[in-house]
Amino acid sequence: MIPKISPGFEDVLPVEYRELVQDGSYGRNLRIKDLGTFKESIEEHPLCAGCALSLSIRLIVASLPCPEDTIVVGTTGCNSILMPQLAIHNIHSLFGNQNAVASGLKRALKIRYPDKHKDVVVVAGDGGTADIGLSMTMHSWFRRENITTIMLDNEGYSNTGGQESSMTREGVVLYMAPLGKKYPKTRMFEIARESGCAYVAAVSPASPRRLEKMVRRAILVARAIGPTYVQIYCPCATNYKFSPSETLKRTKDDEQIREYMSSDAKELIERLGE
Amino acid sequence: MHFPIILFLTKNWLESHMASAICSQKDYKVVPGPEAYLSPAAASMGIVLPEKGQGLIEGQIVSEKVAMEAIAKKLLGAKNPTFFPGPNVLWAVSEKAVAKAVALQEMVKAVPGMKIIPMPDYRPKYPMINPEVEINPNHPNLTIWHNEIDVCVFAGVHCHYANLALKIIRGGTDCYTIALCANPGHEDAMISLRDVHVEDIRRLTKVIERLREGSK
Amino acid sequence: MKERKVVDPEYLLKEAPREKKFLIGNEAVAEAVKRANVDIGVSYPITPQSEAMHLVGDIYAEGYLKDYYRAEHELGAMAAVAGAAMGGARTFTATSGPGTLRAFEMFPCWAGARLPIVCAFMCRGVNSPLTIQPDNIEIGWLMDTGMLIFHAENPQEFFDMLLQAYVIAEQPDVHIPVGVCADGFFVTHTREIVEVTPEDEMLPPYDPSKSPCPTMDMETPPIRQIRDPFVMKSNYISYNAHASWQQEVRAAAERSRKHIAKYLGSSIEVTNPDAEILLMASGTAAAQARVAVERAQKDGIDAGLVKVKVIRPFPDKEIRELTENPKAILVPEHNIVGWLAREVMSRTDYTKVCGGPRVFGGMTMPPEVILSEIKNLARVI
Repeated sequence: MIPKISPGFEDVLPVEYRELVQDGSYGRNLRIKDLGTFKESIEEHPLCAGCALSLSIRLIVASLPCPEDTIVVGTTGCNSILMPQLAIHNIHSLFGNQNAVASGLKRALKIRYPDKHKDVVVVAGDGGTADIGLSMTMHSWFRRENITTIMLDNEGYSNTGGQESSMTREGVVLYMAPLGKKYPKTRMFEIARESGCAYVAAVSPASPRRLEKMVRRAILVARAIGPTYVQIYCPCATNYKFSPSETLKRTKDDEQIREYMSSDAKELIERLGE
Repeated sequence: MHFPIILFLTKNWLESHMASAICSQKDYKVVPGPEAYLSPAAASMGIVLPEKGQGLIEGQIVSEKVAMEAIAKKLLGAKNPTFFPGPNVLWAVSEKAVAKAVALQEMVKAVPGMKIIPMPDYRPKYPMINPEVEINPNHPNLTIWHNEIDVCVFAGVHCHYANLALKIIRGGTDCYTIALCANPGHEDAMISLRDVHVEDIRRLTKVIERLREGSK
Repeated sequence: MKERKVVDPEYLLKEAPREKKFLIGNEAVAEAVKRANVDIGVSYPITPQSEAMHLVGDIYAEGYLKDYYRAEHELGAMAAVAGAAMGGARTFTATSGPGTLRAFEMFPCWAGARLPIVCAFMCRGVNSPLTIQPDNIEIGWLMDTGMLIFHAENPQEFFDMLLQAYVIAEQPDVHIPVGVCADGFFVTHTREIVEVTPEDEMLPPYDPSKSPCPTMDMETPPIRQIRDPFVMKSNYISYNAHASWQQEVRAAAERSRKHIAKYLGSSIEVTNPDAEILLMASGTAAAQARVAVERAQKDGIDAGLVKVKVIRPFPDKEIRELTENPKAILVPEHNIVGWLAREVMSRTDYTKVCGGPRVFGGMTMPPEVILSEIKNLARVI
């Protein structure tokens, strides 16, 4: 839906809504390069200074190929504190059930809007995706659901105060890993590829154009072919105790850019010129 | 042994926490507050919604006509009447929504001095809301207090959020609440109409205009 | 999709011609789902429920549902129907005992999200030790989730209650989930005559535009919307908003009473309400209690029966009135905790209430066991 204000109510709506209607991104196919020239679908939120996760969400939202027909499914964590401020329908249900919720949602929308693409995009943290929700994440891939899963990998449970997750690197000392994490970071990229994802990518907000390309590819492939996965490295200044001003440098230093696509996905991406 | 905290509980507080129908008050009335530390949902106090063609005044079922007259009187007698339009009329999603928005604006024009403050969405707004420009269902009392609103009208708000807001307003303010509902109505409002569509809003506007002319 | 006629819910539930079939409870479930115009069914196997969802799968294959799949586990199944319901679809799922517990976090979540999901619970005992046998302890846990809870006595009631559940759940002033419970095996695997409505008539489709919360389809305003917003600030009004939300869910259950009266007739069924000894029972315990009461009456004992069909919202007023006069109240149950006895005791002079007899872990409740308790009571009152 491209939002339009009822006649006569234009002047009573708060300014952020008026701007959204006059100058929002709906139906305009805007890109990250256009940031700063239009009203973004994200309002002020309470995440920490130097939060690479919130920057990632900002970039994801700006990369959506069809924000007017996208529904985001989040989960408990830092992301869920930001999500209420998105001008895109989004769901918070429980911690970890996001890919199951997204499966049901996508199927419902296919039934209700058979002639329209309604993009269902999961945006969840590493704890939600790779730990508590791993079975639901993987099974949505096994089932070949037409959804995109984006993991915001800040290598720990940030919203609960900085505990180790399975995405934390080996040896790192965090809460609940008082002697340092005893095993390596879970290989979600490979898990996604082997579980049936047609498109898998790893990136970070330090490479915004690349992030945009990958998010767009993931969503377009999910529409036409099957599940897709994007893993975004976004370190947490608060719990890893570095200065907010260092976030981008750290992100850049440690980012790993990877991409896998099935032959079907490759053909589609080439055909679409993405 | 009794827990000492019981000593501090008022009768009103106890009543408001007895949610089951067994303890529901025979005489519970939905009237302006401030009602309680945590006011009850009117439905849990035995207040039932009207049937088609009926309305609710302070928990009592009346005919729709009587409810319309009561709404008109309340609005015309108000010092600071305010209309809170919700998303279902603020946004031009259908011809019906637009027609309703137009009819509601005509209603507002019929009430001298009536203001419009929108409820554009239901999110907890960060860092804070400006109570001069909007009302939020999570803390509607802020807008009522700040603008000294004594009578308000809800329309186009999704029922769940309307009930939350109406109950919180009753709990913490003395504002008189009126709900024009497209579904089966709101017990948590002091006056509620149900199945309100364009023609019903026009009828209400006519009643307001008639009473206003009559009082001149 | 199968060509069928949409009919008025009141006609379908009350007036439509009925055909007699010889069905087990699980088959009756599928027959109900067939007529409920369900969009999406999500299944996960567990005894004694599995067969019901196999059959729902079969009717999906025949074109009665638009989508169906086997989920990864019960939490995944219950989360998927939540997502589908938030997207505006009518859904069905079912589970039993351990599956109910595996999925439990979703039930208050459904209610809090105002989702009109209908879920069948084919009640069974829970571990440990493992049992697959009938025991309805899970109803005691489901009671406080905010869902409406119906308890069917037999396959016929299971069929009727499921259809009634959709109509009641989707009322805009209610719009909360309904759990339709039946005792495992005793109902799910027992073959009885079930009178069903015509196969080619179904309920009207679900209308998401009447939902009390915005549907998540990016077509419903407001677009700046999270299901469901939580207020993260630490102050009185934030907590008050959450408290009000919870109250509103309970208020929705209160509003369902009117619709229950319309579509179910009543929350209770009473035989000989003025009896000295009144039995109160639900589910198959009510069937056994009925036999016991008849035998007691033949033996000259003044006994009566209240069958409780609706556990949430509990028929407070009716139970309070009915428990005023009898000298003793007996509450036979198929679980160890006695959740129905607790409900009755909290609404009357509890000294009159004898919670029992209770059987569990798969044990049957022969009417003689109840009769012997009635006789014991008759001697002392």
